[in-house]
Formats: sequence, C-alpha cells, structure tokens
Amino acid sequence: MSTPDAGLLVALVGNPNTGKSTLFNALTGLRQRVGNYPGVTVARKSGTCDLGDGQKVELVDLPGLYSLAAASPDEQVVIDALSGNIAGDRTPDAVVLVADATNLLRNLFLASQVAELGRPVVLVLNQADVAKEQGLRIDADLLSRRLGGVPVVLTSAWKGEGILEVRRAIARSLAQRATMKRVVWPADISAALADVAAAATADTGKTVTAADAQRLLFDTAPTTADRLGWTSAQRDKTLRSARDRVRNSGYNPMAAEPLVHYAQLRVALEGVVTEGSGKASRTAAVDRLLLHRLLGPLLFLGIMLGFFASVFWLAKFPMGWIQSGVDWTKTVIAPPLDAYPMLQSLLADGIVGGVGAFLVFLPQILILFLFIGILEDSGYMARAAFIMDRLFSWCGLNGKSFVPMLSGFACAIPSLLSTRTIEDPKARLATAFVVPFMSCSARFPIYALMCAAFIGPLYGPGWESVVMVAMHCVGLVFAVPTAFVLTRLILKVKPQPFVLELPRYQMPKPRDVLWRMWQNAAEFVSKAGTVIFAISIIVWALSYFPRDAAVAERIKAAHPTASAEVVKAKVQAAYIEQSYMGRFGKAVQPVFDPCGFDWKITVGVLASFPAREVIVSTLGVTYSVGEGAEADSQHLRQAMQDAKWSEGPRAGRPIFSLAAVLALMVFFALCSQCGPTIATLAQETGGWKWAAGSFLYMTTLAWLAATAVYQVVSRIG
Amino acid sequence: MNLEAVIVGAIVGVAVGWLARRWMAAARRRKEGGCAGDCGCSAKLKPKK
Repeated sequence: MSTPDAGLLVALVGNPNTGKSTLFNALTGLRQRVGNYPGVTVARKSGTCDLGDGQKVELVDLPGLYSLAAASPDEQVVIDALSGNIAGDRTPDAVVLVADATNLLRNLFLASQVAELGRPVVLVLNQADVAKEQGLRIDADLLSRRLGGVPVVLTSAWKGEGILEVRRAIARSLAQRATMKRVVWPADISAALADVAAAATADTGKTVTAADAQRLLFDTAPTTADRLGWTSAQRDKTLRSARDRVRNSGYNPMAAEPLVHYAQLRVALEGVVTEGSGKASRTAAVDRLLLHRLLGPLLFLGIMLGFFASVFWLAKFPMGWIQSGVDWTKTVIAPPLDAYPMLQSLLADGIVGGVGAFLVFLPQILILFLFIGILEDSGYMARAAFIMDRLFSWCGLNGKSFVPMLSGFACAIPSLLSTRTIEDPKARLATAFVVPFMSCSARFPIYALMCAAFIGPLYGPGWESVVMVAMHCVGLVFAVPTAFVLTRLILKVKPQPFVLELPRYQMPKPRDVLWRMWQNAAEFVSKAGTVIFAISIIVWALSYFPRDAAVAERIKAAHPTASAEVVKAKVQAAYIEQSYMGRFGKAVQPVFDPCGFDWKITVGVLASFPAREVIVSTLGVTYSVGEGAEADSQHLRQAMQDAKWSEGPRAGRPIFSLAAVLALMVFFALCSQCGPTIATLAQETGGWKWAAGSFLYMTTLAWLAATAVYQVVSRIG
Repeated sequence: MNLEAVIVGAIVGVAVGWLARRWMAAARRRKEGGCAGDCGCSAKLKPKK
C-alpha cells in the first residue's frame, strides 16, 4: 500500500459551504492546478494529495452541489465526473464526501445519492468544532457501521484538525474499496427503475447503470437521456409509464427520491447525533443585526465605505514608494540616452511612463482583493447577496442572478460564464445583459487616479471613499431599471424561487486569503508587463510621430525672446498636437466636448475601448510626452492638475474641473469598454445581436450620463 | 535610416505584432468555446475535442 501511485484519482464532493475547498487546500497544500472540464467552463481544480505513507493521489475538487439532479452545467459536470463520463478524464477511484457536521441529515442526502454510483467512499464530517460548540456529539464509529463500514472522519479543516486522519482514511478506502450502503427502494419504485434501465439499454445499446436509471426517472431535465443518446419516441412513453407506477405506489414521482433517501437516513442517524447543551449560535445573533430589514442595508453601506476608505488609506504609502521607483527609473535611464531623444522618449515616457502609471495601483488592487477575500471567507458576502436580493427580486431578476452580478465587481467575463447556472434562458439573458454594468476591477485605476488627484486634494480624503462607493453604485443604479424593463416588458421572465444558504461566520484563514490576493496581484503585474507594456509602446508611437523638425524651427522663430525652457515646452506641446494621436484625438474630440473631455482624454477614452484600464497608461504616456522627457519628477497627477484648455470659450480654465472628473468617472462606470466582454456576451447569447445591443446601449448611456453630469455640475460649480 | 530609428521601429513592430497575435489567439479560443478573456479564468485552457 505504501507504493507511491500518482495514477489514482480521488474526487472531493459536497454541498456548498461545507468547507470543501478549505479541506482541499489543506490536503493538497496549495499545490493546485486549475483548468476546465472539456467543452464547458466549469473549473476543474486538482492537486496532489500525500496520503501520509508515501502514497500520492490526484485529488480533484468538484463544484459544490446539493443533489445529483442536474439542473445546471456544473451539476452535470459533477455527475459526469463521478460516473467517469468525461472524455479524457479518469473515473475516480474513491470519493471523499464532505458533509457539514452541524447539519448532517441534509448533507447526507447528497452522500446517499453518490453511494448509488458504487464508488469507494470516505465520509468527512467537517466543522466538527462548531458542532461541538453547539453541543452536538457525533458518534463517527456508529455512523460508519450504519453506512456499511465506510471510513467516517470528524474534521475541522479550517483549524487543520483531522487532516491526517482524512489522508489515512483515503488510503484505507483505496485499499479496502468499501462502498457506502445504498438506499433500499420500495418494490414499485425499484420495478419502475428496472423498467427504465431495461428500455434505455434496449433503445441505446449502452450500459445503463442504476444511478443513470434514477436520474432518468426522477429528473425533469433530460440531461442523462441526452448523454445516453436516448432520444427515441419510446423514451417519453417509458418514463410516463414508470412515473405512473411510482405515483400509484403513493409517491409523487418528483419527490420520491428525497423522501425515500431521507426516511432511511433518519433511521441511520438515530443515536449518531446527540444534542447536549451548547452555546447559542453566534451566527444567529450577528445575523439578527446584519440582516435587519433597515439596519442591514445601512450597515452594508457603512462596511463598503469603510472598505474603500481603508483601501485608500493603507495603499497611500506603498503607492508613493512605487511612484518614487518609477521616477527614479526614469532618471536612471534618460540621461545616458540624451544623444538619442527618440529612444529616450520611448523608454522614459512610453514604457516607464505608461507601465508605471498602471503599476502604481498595485497596492490598491492588493488591498482590494485582501478585503474581498476577508468578506467572502468570513461569510459576509453571502449576507450581502441576501440584502441585495430584495432589490433584484423587485426588478424581476432571478435570485440566482445575484451571484454573477456580485462577481461582476471583479471581472465581467467569468460572471457572464457563471450565468450558465441560471436555468431559465430568459432570466439568463437578462442577467448577462446587465452584468457588464457592474463596476469591475479594471475600472478601479481610473476611479483611484481621479479620486487621488482631484477629489482627495479638493475635498479631503473622506470624500475619496464616498465617491468610490458612489461610482461602484452608478452601474447598479442603471442596471436595476434596465433589468426591470428587460425582464418585465421585453423578455417577460417568470419569477423563480431562490434558495441561498447563509454560511456560518468564521475567521478567514490568512493563508487562503493571502493566496487569492497573490493570484490577483500576479495577474495584475502580468497584465502590466504584457498588454499594458505593448499598448504603451503603441500609444507612445502614435503620440510621438510624425515629428517634423520644421515645427520646432517655426516655434523658435515665432518666440525669439522666450527662454529655452519655454520654447522647449511649446515645441513639445506642438509635437504632440500634430502627432497621429493628436490629430485623431482632435478630430473626434467634438463628440466628447459636451462631456468636458479635451482631445487627450478623448484619446484615452478611445484607446480604452479594447480594455478600460488602458486609460491610465494612455494618460501617463500622453502627459509624459507632452511635458518632455526631462520632466522626471512630474507625476501624472500633477500634470493633470496643471492641464488647461488652450483655446475656445474655456481657454485658460483647468481641463480637469470637478465636473469633468465626475463626468469621466461616470463615463467609465457605464461605458462598454472591454473587447473580451463583448465577445463573451456574443458567445453566451449565441450571436452578436445582444452583444451589439449591449455595446450601443451602454456606450450611449455612458455618453448621455457623462454629458448630464458635466453640464449640471459645471453650472452648479 | 539611423540605428536609433531601426531600434525604435523594431520595438514598436514587435509590440504591434504581439498584440495582433494575442488578439487572434483569443478569437480562436472563443471559436473553440473557451474563454477569450484576460481574467485568467480559463484563458490558459483549450477545451478538449
């Protein structure tokens, strides 16, 4: 048994919020590989698990689910993975079932269904420490005997307790191949299942297992039938007759499966769980406050304000260090290249200026994801979902829409893919349409730049977080009526029930939170070093060329008495204005003039249509080039604060007035500026119609809202 | 044409080529049913046939 064997595959299965992923992290030690199941965008997370005696197995963490009735693609993946029906993936040699020790009966329903697949099983009762706190005593040995001798282990994955026992239990299960006791079906249901299995086998010529027959008989969705290729006209007749037989035996065919399972599980659990005197649930006490009808939303708003205030306050110093590093890099690389002004400008203004302007936001991104991790792992994020669900149900969205919309605050693309969990296609379409309104993390750098350069210095640091929260709400404010019109008037979505399990509050595990923060930081830095790097070079080239020497001569001749510095600044300004970027920006600027954008901002806005975070590096390059290569200490913020209109009725007035700053942020909050999001929307809605509609709608809305903000604020201010 | 212009031209050319190649790879991934995003959710993966 101690021979190392990397060929064995063990699957981790359980209800959501049972600590499955924490157990997976504890067993694999973060040595994980994240991929996708073929053909679907359901993540396949796997890692190597040492069983403690030198034997190693591949452990795969399957998506959390409540039952094997496949209603969504990720549930189907679990069933297919456990049954060995995924092309190129192995059938698991054993299954680790993770159950919440404080809610055994409900959790064992899934375990009991998985038992039907006939795989060796290890039952892990996680959160045993909380069960103990609540006064619950669990006799694991008795439960093991009742379930047919499968290993039953009590753990607290969060505290790292019982992990070694789980490793040993997996090794024992692989060696002994003990399977869990299966449910005993009443005679009529058993006969109905046999009829279904026989008819499906005869029609398809494929082996139809007992588990397949149960899915065929009990599930309304035809996913198993489709997988087996059982599409004959005979299918409906057979299933109707089998369901009639179940009905005649006194069971509702759609409820027979849980009824039979639960009845037998109650018997198996008799004497296994005994209740002593425990502490009153802290979770319930805290929830009375945090989920209060009036206080709950107010506290939610307060938490968000504190969240963004902390992001600004904590990131201030490391951002200063990075900015100093960027300036220092410019001072080091620029002087040796004085004889090569073009190369000097490319390196100092284009690459260091562009990438540096983006990279300076790394501390804020790190702290942002640290706080998101803490909110998620503490259990508060599910409460936020609960609070917001009231709003969403009012606007006619399916309750399941909240999860994709919430994750849309990080990135719209995985959120669009996660709408696949919504069964109703119309509700799914409506959700996918409004997901891009959520303020993703790519919008964060422009908000942060505007807040740090203008809102903070003008109105005090407290206003930075207020504006930040407001900007994150702008998308929501437009998403709600959009969803209302879509669901109620255009698509006519029928309301669906939504069940949300609120996990217990717990202390977030530093290792898990820091790991996720690190992953996001690595992605941010990698983006700075690749896409932003390349785009900065292109933006530099477009704002540097053409560079006609006659322009400089003309300016020198026109200002014979001006100092060398003034002439140089005028030459730089003239060069950038007659560059390709300048000409293009000036040609398009009239469109954005009502929003208060000058031609440099216009260039930034247009360059940001493929990816909105490009605005920061574009402004970084255009303002660096405009200021001249020697302006090493001139931060982007300072350059923007000093920028003034050079002509027209606003000549001499600051370009970045409060009205323009707010208009720019509102524009970015609403505009559809992400190529991959548009493409993913087209892919998920099955064509370009909705994607094009979303692009036009969001961009028009952004322009109208930015114009309204600029016009109103500039008149008031 | 001087050496400086050649170096700058090469750097800009590589940046344009790299972005174009990346854009085409994303389009191909999308066509195969994968995610074309930069979010990292599945950009590293190619769905198996």
